[in-house]
Amino acid sequence: MGLLTDPGAGHGRLTQLLVTYHNKLIILLYIGGVLWFMILAHKHFNAGTYFSENALLPGLVKGEFDEDAIAKVYQSELLDEAAKYPNGVPYSWLIAKFRQLNLDTYTHNFTLTYPLGLGNKFTGKNVYAILRAPRSSSTEALVLSVPYRPPSSVNPGTAPSIAIMLAVAKFFRRQKYWAKDVIFLVTEHEQLGVQAWLEAYHKVTCGRSGVLDHGDMMGRGGAIQAAINLELHAEKIGHIDVKIEGLNGQLPNLDLVNLVHRMCSKEGVKHTFKNRESGNYRDWYREWLHSFKTLMAMVATQASGVPNGNHGLFHRFGIEAVTLEGFEKKGKGSPALYFQVGRVLEGLFRSLNNLLERFHQSYFFYLLPAADRFISIGMYMPPLGLICAGLVIKAFALWLKMQEDSTKKQPAENEDTEEDKSKLSNQDSTNNFSLVPVGVTVLAAHSVSIVMLSSPQKLNALGLKFGLSTPLALYAGYFIMTLLMSILPLFACRHIGRTVESRSIFNIVALLELATILLCTSMQNFSLALLSAVVYVPSGLLMVPTQNRILTILQKILWVFLHPLWLLIIVVLFHTTLTFPDESVLVLSEMGMRAVLKALVFAVVDSYIYANWLFPVATAILLPNWILFWIVLHNSPYQEKKEEKNED
Amino acid sequence: MISNIPQLTGFIFIVCDLITAHVLYHTAQLFMSELFSRQMREKEKYAKDAETLLLKQSDLVLPPVYVASAYLFNPYIIFSCISQTTTVFANLCLAFTFLLMIKGKRLACCSVLALATLQSLYPVILLVPASIYIAKAESRRSLRCSSFILTAVTFITALHLLLYISLKLAGGWEFLHATHGFILNVPDLQPNVGLFWYFFTEMFENFRLLFICAFQINATVLYLIPLTLRFHGEPMLLATSLTALTAIFKSYPTLGDVGFYLALLPMWKHLFKYMQQGFVVGCSFLSTSVMGPVVWHLWIYSRSANANFYFGVTLAFATAQIFLVTDILFAYIKREFSLFHGLHREVNGKTTKLVLE
Repeated sequence: MGLLTDPGAGHGRLTQLLVTYHNKLIILLYIGGVLWFMILAHKHFNAGTYFSENALLPGLVKGEFDEDAIAKVYQSELLDEAAKYPNGVPYSWLIAKFRQLNLDTYTHNFTLTYPLGLGNKFTGKNVYAILRAPRSSSTEALVLSVPYRPPSSVNPGTAPSIAIMLAVAKFFRRQKYWAKDVIFLVTEHEQLGVQAWLEAYHKVTCGRSGVLDHGDMMGRGGAIQAAINLELHAEKIGHIDVKIEGLNGQLPNLDLVNLVHRMCSKEGVKHTFKNRESGNYRDWYREWLHSFKTLMAMVATQASGVPNGNHGLFHRFGIEAVTLEGFEKKGKGSPALYFQVGRVLEGLFRSLNNLLERFHQSYFFYLLPAADRFISIGMYMPPLGLICAGLVIKAFALWLKMQEDSTKKQPAENEDTEEDKSKLSNQDSTNNFSLVPVGVTVLAAHSVSIVMLSSPQKLNALGLKFGLSTPLALYAGYFIMTLLMSILPLFACRHIGRTVESRSIFNIVALLELATILLCTSMQNFSLALLSAVVYVPSGLLMVPTQNRILTILQKILWVFLHPLWLLIIVVLFHTTLTFPDESVLVLSEMGMRAVLKALVFAVVDSYIYANWLFPVATAILLPNWILFWIVLHNSPYQEKKEEKNED
Repeated sequence: MISNIPQLTGFIFIVCDLITAHVLYHTAQLFMSELFSRQMREKEKYAKDAETLLLKQSDLVLPPVYVASAYLFNPYIIFSCISQTTTVFANLCLAFTFLLMIKGKRLACCSVLALATLQSLYPVILLVPASIYIAKAESRRSLRCSSFILTAVTFITALHLLLYISLKLAGGWEFLHATHGFILNVPDLQPNVGLFWYFFTEMFENFRLLFICAFQINATVLYLIPLTLRFHGEPMLLATSLTALTAIFKSYPTLGDVGFYLALLPMWKHLFKYMQQGFVVGCSFLSTSVMGPVVWHLWIYSRSANANFYFGVTLAFATAQIFLVTDILFAYIKREFSLFHGLHREVNGKTTKLVLE
C-alpha cells in the first residue's frame, strides 16, 4: 500500500499531492456532492417504485364496499353533534355508534402535565373500537385512526373521516375474512392522543417520565402490524395526499406507501405526494425542477423531525403507518365520493390482511422525488459522503503537515553543529506535546452543552420567579449561557495555544467530530444531516485561523450566525416569510418574532413529551462542536508561530 | 455480598479498575527501565545517526503515566466499569499477569494466568511470552530449556487447582460446560461486538464443528506461532499483540478487552512516529464507536435497519483494530532496522524507502 512507507524518506507522491492541493480538492468534493444530490431528482438517476412484499397482492380482490349512503347519514349526524360540543369530542355519540355496530368499544383517558410554564394539567380521552378477527386469535391487529377536530380547531375538520370510518367499520363487520383485529381509533388533541394511546397500548413511556401519563387501557388487540390515519376534510374529495414523514425522520416501509398509491389509482382517486402531481413536462429541465422541488419539500419536512400527521408516532413501535389527507374538490371534474374512498380503504385493509410477517422487505430509508419514483439509501448516501469527505481530507492534510513539520526538524539537525544540538533539545520538548489540554477542553465543551440540555425546566422555574413567560425565560437563559460560553476560548487558548501541534490536533478533533456527527445523524435522519452538512461543512472548513484581520472578523461573524440558536431564528423567520408572502415587513417581523419564541418552546416540549430528538441533538451534539470551532477560530494562526520558531 | 451489601458493588468495580491502572503503571515503569537498560547495553552496535531514535530520560517517566491515564480515561473502560461487567475482573487478572511476567516470578505469574484462563479461555496463549520472560530471568543459560517446562507445569498445576476449587464450589462438572464449553462452542448467537455471531447464524448444522474449529484456531493458535518466531526477543510486544488479537477474534469480545490493550500502547510511544496509518485507524475507531450504537438502535428499537448495518460497522471496527496491530508491529520492525542501519538509507546514491513486501 502506498501508505506503508518510511517516514524518514518523506511521504509518497499521492500524499504530497494531497497536502498541496487539498483546498481545491475539498471545494471540488463539496460542489460535486451537492450537484450529485441535486441530480438524483431526475428520472434517469432514480428508480421507479415496485412491490417487494408479494404477500400484499395489491388490488387483486374485487372491492365490495357499498355503505356510502350510511356514511352520508353519519356525517350529517356528526356535524349536528359536533356543533353541541364546540371545544370537545362527542364521546357519547361515538361510543353509541360503535356499540350499534357490535364492536368492542373502549375509552382511554390520559393526562398531560405541561413540563414548562406553570405545569398545568390537561386531560384527554380517546375512543376506540376493536373488530375481533373471526378466524384467528387476536395475535395481530391493524389500526384505522382519525384525529377528531372540534369546530373551534385551527386545523381543517375531519368529520367526513369519521363518517367513512364508521361506514367502513359497518362493512368490515359483515366480512368473514379478517385474520387480524381491526382497531378503529378516534383520538383527541392531535398527536398527543395518539402518542398516549400507543404508549398505553405498549405499556411504555417514550418521553420524560411524569410528563405524559398514558393511563390504562381496558381492551387491547394483538400486535399492530400497520396503521392508516385518515384526515379527509370534505365529502367530495379532489385529491388524496399521502403523508409519510414520521417522528425523528423515520419513514414507513416503502411497500405501504406504494400500496396506498396503487389502491388510489385503482379506484380512480387522484393521489399526490406533497400536494404535487407528477410533472409530465416535455422539457427535461422543467421535469427535473419539479421533481427537485418535491424532493426538497420532503427533505425539509423530514429534517425537522416533527411528524406531519398522527401516523408519525406509530413508526417507533415498528408499526408502518401513513396519513391519507383528502382535500375538497375545487374546479371541474368528478370528485372522489365516499364510494371510492371506501373502496380504497377496503382494498388497503384487505391487502394488509394478507400479510404474514411485518413489513420488512422493502426500503425503510428512501427519499421520494415523486409519488412513483424513489431514491434509496444506497443512492443518496454517496453525495453526503462526498460532502463530509472534505472534512476528513482537511483533517488528514493538517495531520500530514504536522508530521512533516516534526520530521523536517529532525533530519536537518543531524547535519548541524554543536550549537544547534541545544536547539534540538528545545524542540524535542515541544515535540512532546500533551494531549491533555485538548482533551480537557473537549470535555469542558461537552459538559457545558449537557448543562444547556438539562436546563429548560430550571430556567422556567427561575423565570417564573422573575415573572417572565416561558419563551422569554428560555431565550434569556440561553442567551446568557451563550455569552458565557463564548468566553471559554479565552481560557482554552492559553492552554492549547502553546504549541502548534496542540492547535493542529484541536482543529483535527473538531473536524473529525463534525464528520462523525454528520455521518451518524445521516443514518437516523438523512435530511437533517444533509441540510446541516450543506451549511456546516464549508463553514467548518473556513474556520482556520488566519493572519488577515478582516477575514478573521468575517469568520467570527459567520460562525456566530451558525450557532444553533441563531440558525433556529433564521430558519423560522425564513419560513414565516415564505408562508405569508404578501404581508408587510412590520407585520412579518412581529409574526416572525412570535414564531421564533414559540419554536424553541415547542422544540423543548416535544423532546419531553414525544422524545423528539431535534432539541437534544442541537444542544448536546451540535453545540459542543460549535464551541470547539469557536475556540479553533480564536487560536493564533499556524504560520505565525512557525515563523517565530525560525527566528530563534 | 450481592445479597448483603448491594450498594457497595459499584464501589468494588471502581476499586478494581483503580488497582488495574496502578498495576499497569508499574508494569510500564519496569518495561521502560528494561528497554533503557537494553539500549545501554547495545549502544555500540547502533548506527551513528540513529541517536534521535534512542530513548531518553523523559521517556522513562512519561509513558507509565500515559499508560495509567490511557486506562483510566479510556471511554471503553469507563463503559465497562459503569455497566459492571466481569471484563473488569478479567482485565485485573490480565494486568497482574503482565506485571508478574515482567518481574519474572514464576509461581505468582502462573497462578494469576491460571485465574485469567479460568475466566475466559483465551489468556492461555499468554503462557508463551510469560515463559520467555521467566526463562530470561533465569541467570544460568543451561537451565533455560527446563525453565520452560517448569513454567508450563506450574501453570497446569495452578489451573487444575483452580478447577478443583471451582468443582467444589459448583458441586459438579457442569460448570465447565457452562463456562469454557460456552466460549468454545458458541451456542448463543446474540449480536455482540465480535465476528462470530453473524457467520454462525447462517451456517448449516453439519458444518458447524468445522467452522468453530477454524474460528477458534484463528483466535488462538494461528498468530501465536509466527509472532513468537519473529518477536521472541521482545516478549512484551508479543504479549500485547496477542492480547490485541484475541480481543479482536475471540468468540465473545467486549469493549473492555479493546480498552485494555489500547491502554498498553503508550509503552511503545517511541514507535508512534513510525506508524503510518495512525490517522486512518483513529478516524475509524471514532466513527465506528459512535456509529455502532446508532445502527444498533435503528435495528433493534426502530426496526428500520437490519443486521447487516450493524455487522458492517462491527467489521469496520475489527478492521481498524487489525490495522492498528499490524502498524505497531511493523513500526517496531522499522525502528529496529533504523537503529542498526541508520536513518538515511542510500543505495547507489539514491534515497530509498522501506516497504512491506
